[in-house]
Amino acid sequence: MADEVPLVSMVGISKRYGGAQACAGVDFVVRAAKVHALLGENGAGKSTLMKILSGEVTDYEGQVAIAGEPVRFDGPAAAQRAGIAMIHQELDLVPNMSVADNVFLGREPRTRQGTLDRRRVTRQTRELLDRIGVALDPGLTVGDLRTGERQLVTIASALLRDPRVVIMDEPTSALSQPEVERLFQVINELRRDGVGVVYISHRMDEIGRIADHATVLRNGHVVREFDARSMSAAQAAEAMVGRPVQTMFRTDTESGDSDVGAEILRVRDLVVRPRRARSGRREPNGIMLTVRRGEIVGLTGLLGSGRTELLQTLFGAGSPGRWSGTVELDGRRIRPRGPRQALALGVAFVPEDRRVDGLALDHSIRANAVLSVLGRLSRFGVVSRRVEMRTTGESTRQLKVKSSSPREAVGGLSGGNQQKVLLGRMLLTRPKLLLLDEPTRGVDVGAKAEIYQLLGEIARAGVGVLMASSELTELVGVCDRVVVLRNGRTAGELSTRHSGEADLLAAAMGDMDALTDEGREKSHG
Amino acid sequence: MRFRVRTAIALTVGLPLTLSAACGTTHENSGQGGQSGTHTACKGSGGHYLIGMSQANLAGEPYRQQMDDDIRAAAKGVPQFDVKFADAAADNVRQQNDVDNYLTQRIDLLIISPNEATPLTAVVKKAYDKGIPVLVLDRKVDGDSYTSFIGADNKQIGKQAGEFMADTVLPKGGKIVELKGLAGSTPAHERSDGFDEGIAGKSIQIVATADGDWLREKGQQQMDALLKAHPDIQAVYAENDEMAEGAYLAAQSVGRAGDIRFIGIDGLPIAAGGIKAVEAGRLAATFVYPTGGSEAIAAAKKILVDCQPVDKKQTLPTQLVTKDNAAAVYKANGGS
Amino acid sequence: MVEQQAAEKDNSPARETTARWRESPLWRPFRPVAVGGGTGLTAMLFRFQSFFGLAVVFAAAVVFSPTRDGTILFLTSGNLFNVVRAVSEIGIVAVGMTFVILIGGIDLSVGAVVGLSAVGIAVLLVQNGVSVAVAVPVVLAVGAVFGLLQGLASVRFGIQAFIVTLAGLQIARGLARIWSGGQGVAISYGDGPNQAPVVFSLLGERTFGGVVPIPALFFLAVAALAVLFLRVSVFSRHLYAIGGNEKAAWLSGVPVNRVKVVIFGISGLLAALAGIIHAGQLNQGSPNDGAGYELDAIAAVVIGGTSLSGGRGSVIGTVTGALLLGVLNNILALNDIDSNIQLLIKGLVIIFAAGLQRLRPAR
Repeated sequence: MADEVPLVSMVGISKRYGGAQACAGVDFVVRAAKVHALLGENGAGKSTLMKILSGEVTDYEGQVAIAGEPVRFDGPAAAQRAGIAMIHQELDLVPNMSVADNVFLGREPRTRQGTLDRRRVTRQTRELLDRIGVALDPGLTVGDLRTGERQLVTIASALLRDPRVVIMDEPTSALSQPEVERLFQVINELRRDGVGVVYISHRMDEIGRIADHATVLRNGHVVREFDARSMSAAQAAEAMVGRPVQTMFRTDTESGDSDVGAEILRVRDLVVRPRRARSGRREPNGIMLTVRRGEIVGLTGLLGSGRTELLQTLFGAGSPGRWSGTVELDGRRIRPRGPRQALALGVAFVPEDRRVDGLALDHSIRANAVLSVLGRLSRFGVVSRRVEMRTTGESTRQLKVKSSSPREAVGGLSGGNQQKVLLGRMLLTRPKLLLLDEPTRGVDVGAKAEIYQLLGEIARAGVGVLMASSELTELVGVCDRVVVLRNGRTAGELSTRHSGEADLLAAAMGDMDALTDEGREKSHG
Repeated sequence: MRFRVRTAIALTVGLPLTLSAACGTTHENSGQGGQSGTHTACKGSGGHYLIGMSQANLAGEPYRQQMDDDIRAAAKGVPQFDVKFADAAADNVRQQNDVDNYLTQRIDLLIISPNEATPLTAVVKKAYDKGIPVLVLDRKVDGDSYTSFIGADNKQIGKQAGEFMADTVLPKGGKIVELKGLAGSTPAHERSDGFDEGIAGKSIQIVATADGDWLREKGQQQMDALLKAHPDIQAVYAENDEMAEGAYLAAQSVGRAGDIRFIGIDGLPIAAGGIKAVEAGRLAATFVYPTGGSEAIAAAKKILVDCQPVDKKQTLPTQLVTKDNAAAVYKANGGS
Repeated sequence: MVEQQAAEKDNSPARETTARWRESPLWRPFRPVAVGGGTGLTAMLFRFQSFFGLAVVFAAAVVFSPTRDGTILFLTSGNLFNVVRAVSEIGIVAVGMTFVILIGGIDLSVGAVVGLSAVGIAVLLVQNGVSVAVAVPVVLAVGAVFGLLQGLASVRFGIQAFIVTLAGLQIARGLARIWSGGQGVAISYGDGPNQAPVVFSLLGERTFGGVVPIPALFFLAVAALAVLFLRVSVFSRHLYAIGGNEKAAWLSGVPVNRVKVVIFGISGLLAALAGIIHAGQLNQGSPNDGAGYELDAIAAVVIGGTSLSGGRGSVIGTVTGALLLGVLNNILALNDIDSNIQLLIKGLVIIFAAGLQRLRPAR
């Protein structure tokens, strides 16, 4: 093993961005037929290291060798020729092109006449998608796909090149559990074929299952190396944050449902018939659910089960169209015409993709934090900068946002801190009902724990929380109940006190027997 | 070229004579300068003078390019003169700024060919009120706050064109069409009125008129239509050579170029100008519309170097160009 | 950061300038500034950048200015006021354009609205005998309503601003031709029929206190109001938020459509103001007035460091951008640079200014 030449060896890699040291003398090795996990909080240097390997960053110090040969890539194309495929966290697809065209972008096959070989493009794309277990029509426009589906398309695109090394940067952050399972099968196949895989993730449970070896980075340094199979989540988390992490999940769930109060949201037979159907969207089609004061209700289901669409609909941000069924907030029937009205009614929403739908990344923390409550902070249309700064300060303190100043651009914060700014913005509106879509997606482990604690506090303050997530551990750890959606319908409901992750997964995949009697009763009652 | 230099020398030496006799300039208000006959600006032949020439628009207007060229050529003969040129690109605001910038540069004399009268009146007045002599070329400004207006009389030219049409082209009378310049512009109006005057009482019938906007392609388009509506026309009066050439092309394309006669105005001494078109037989005649460039430098010399008053208005004469004299006129006007 | 803190402690302007200077991306052009500075600092740096550009062009103007009798002609007060007066109309239009561009839009109709309102004020004052107190508000309202309608069309039918205002440009020119009968309407002053009230001639060559040209005062007033407005109003926060991330702004409860419509209204209003001043300056309202103003205004906005993708920029930047163009025009003219060459130089300056934006600290 030791004398075998590694596929990739990176020695003494250093890279500095202005004043920030992204990597400081990092050694990293990728071996054939192994899965290497790369762990670390956001900003630890994982992405920089991988950008060097994939040729996106060219001015660095240190040595990179591919199969023993020293190389210095002058761009991503050179790295791709050397057999290195990078699957980005930010999805680099052309939204108005089809799935197949995106997969073959830049490598379009020609017919003998020199024209584009459309049939081959479609056929091969279908094969690739089948291989990773996605039933997507290759002719669909990428812009109409959901985030998770797009993620799968990028993976398919990377596999087309028959790479020797595949780098996956948080590939599962937008995937639901069954899709994650499919992806793991693909990774296992790659491993069998002798491909070296670098796997970046925040999800400790996944790493334990899929990886052979784990490297933990902190502040640009390698702080620990683990055998991934024997590593415990607590050990890894401690290495990542540099201090012991006590509790991941909120601590009050065990204390029972004592402070759960009156019903705040009641949805009955909600069906939305959109005025213009948009492909790739699963509109609510028979939703039954309730959320009570002080309760955290989870929302899960497969990719395309309609979780996001439901939350958007409740917030007035769904597709315009006809509704049937009822939505009651505090006993009053509502139908918000838009986010502005929803916020006025006391419904708040934190969208899934905070970079696209949540934040103005160039703008300051302050500008982003107070955006929804400017009316309250102003008099005669004039904002008081003093009040604004104070409000921002209170909000960021309360949510433990780590930043040098409220003037800092929000795009410079880590994912977790960005999420907290967004959450803070919504909490400032003093909502009765808080809707969250994948609240910990792309958030590192330390910030995740903080967000879970916060959700507990929010619920204790009497807010009803409805939270969509595809991370089963999170649902079990945080929620009081979990509602399972399938094809836009409520498929059932589970109490987290009586069920585990396996039950949830089974329910999401369609096994009704997994539902507890209690849950089944509710979903039909 | 040699000839032009000689003209310039002649202008420098025998100036008053050249103006009044040789060119046959008509004098009105003789000796009545704006605020005074002589300007304090006059420092005699020992001085050095900065002259600003503000042109309305060069691009697409060969006549104005010719005006600048004439000024440049004439100024070469006056060692005391340093002439600067600015082109406002048909923008009133820009021409105002051009004049303002000249004032900043402390010019000794302003020559301006205004883009439009009213918008430039104020800035011309401002210069004039500062004691700077102002020579206005071709287009007028409102009021009388300028030293001298130098230009041809469009109405007079139009009248001559009308007379030529009636007496020489169609002495037995006939049907013609008229291609007018840009609607609403003063020269178009004047050239039209003058023409009407010229054919008054003769048996010339204008069966149709159309706006050609001074442009060759517009003249061609209009003529295409006119030929369909009035196949029996015998001649075309175009208010400039460009439109006349366009009309000729239209007639040529239906095989009528030989039996229709075309009259234009402007007669620029350039290869693409009307004089050459007459020489080549495409146009029956054109009337030289003088730029006033050399006359402006002559007047400037009179004011600044000779310390003499100039006339408030100098009307420049036109010249009939026919196939007989085209080559000679072309040469005499500095064409090369 | 260290330098900035030092500057905060020691408030001497020289120290502060030095500190900012060192923080400036121009100083270390190819090294990204540390992210820690955030938007506040970044905004400051980039406001400073357009000042810097103006300072460079100004200094060059002084150096290359022709002199006469030992006086630097460029620096004479008369000339400097000429510079400001010459950019006033474009400047006013550019302030409105800044708002539009800040939300990621564009308004191509402003030049035509200048023509429409120049014609409008001339016709109302001269041919309809309306008093200044009525005519001015009417013309301003016409401009504002024109802008509002374009905003409504864009929002209601989901058409891009570029397309809507391209159509608006044609429509406004058409209206101007119809209103004026296709020709310039000359404005003469007096009490008689077909004469405009003498008060209106204040907008012409007349100066305030004998020195400052009236259009420049309007420009500075508009700019000052806009700066204040952008600084303190809720509306401006909404505006920046839309430009920064429209979807996020909408999900945050920002009345996106309303803000957009109002901004096009403001742009139209300011174009109308510029048109009124234009008519006063020229004593004439002509349907072709203001042709190409939209492009000059966009150039001023871009040189001023406002991003065409929206969300980033300032009115102060636009004012300096307009002044920079004015100084450049002036010094080129004073040196008798051929007008064709002037176009080349101006084009290059715009590219250079846009290139500077790329040096913005990367995140």
